[in-house]
Amino acid sequence: MPRRRTPDGGRRPQRRKSVLHGPGGEGGDAFRCVGCRLEVPLAAPGTAHRNHCPHCLTSRHVDRRVPGDRAADCGGRMAALSMTVRSNGEWLLIHQCVTCGELSANRIAGDDNALALMRLAMRPLADGKLPVRALLTL
Amino acid sequence: MSDHDLDGSRHRRTSTDPARTGAIPRAGTFECLRCGLTVTRLGPDGDVRNHCPSCLHSQHVEDHVRGGPAECRGRMSPIAIAVLRNDDWMVIHRCTRCDELTSSPVCRDDNQLILMRMAVRPLAQPPFPLEVFADL
Ligand SMILES: [Zn+2]
Ligand SMILES: [Zn+2]
Ligand SMILES: [Zn+2]
Ligand SMILES: [Zn+2]
Repeated sequence: MPRRRTPDGGRRPQRRKSVLHGPGGEGGDAFRCVGCRLEVPLAAPGTAHRNHCPHCLTSRHVDRRVPGDRAADCGGRMAALSMTVRSNGEWLLIHQCVTCGELSANRIAGDDNALALMRLAMRPLADGKLPVRALLTL
Repeated sequence: MSDHDLDGSRHRRTSTDPARTGAIPRAGTFECLRCGLTVTRLGPDGDVRNHCPSCLHSQHVEDHVRGGPAECRGRMSPIAIAVLRNDDWMVIHRCTRCDELTSSPVCRDDNQLILMRMAVRPLAQPPFPLEVFADL
């Protein structure tokens, strides 16, 4: 079933989410990153709730179609795959579940590792496949 | 949502009448929902295409959660490039109707200018001053 579009043009409001605790939804104000094992506080500057590790950007597959619905029983590690930009300039991380392949887009947080974000954003350009030099002459 | 629309349209826009057969065809052609280009399903290297090589837009015809055909049929905008560990490139699409995300391989004849514009867009609007990297 396609999701209903929200009145503001398809952008869902940021919901409270607790996507990184244990699969049973146990509470707590911190979680252990499934990527780098860092102990991460859930409170994050600039977002309603943290959904990825600020150090390695890894997330966990807990939501299914609607962020916060906690419907996915997958629980797989979600690796940061790519970066995109909203029309307002905000960067969005694209995560992909290494277990089931599901994709999700997540806002970056104010304390996300800038170098890790930059590396991800640079990946297509660093690859050398695109004629970047040609672009710069346009 | 038009924020990721990139104007790669060079072809006349025509009305579309997507077949609602349910099966996702592996041969023949489809008409691009965005620019109207008639696109052959088979790419230059014999791989099955699911996005237009000219504007890189696609259509939400496959349900990636349940598998099988999707009822949505919304237009999907290209929003990002992903470089896989094996160096293969994927285009990430987002459905303009239901927000579903999909990825599909970049084809050899995909529009290089649009790929490049997608690649440089985040860097044109960094969320932090790039000077922080000067010392790294
Ligand atoms: Zn981590
Ligand atoms: Zn998963
Ligand atoms: Zn097209
Ligand atoms: Zn859709």
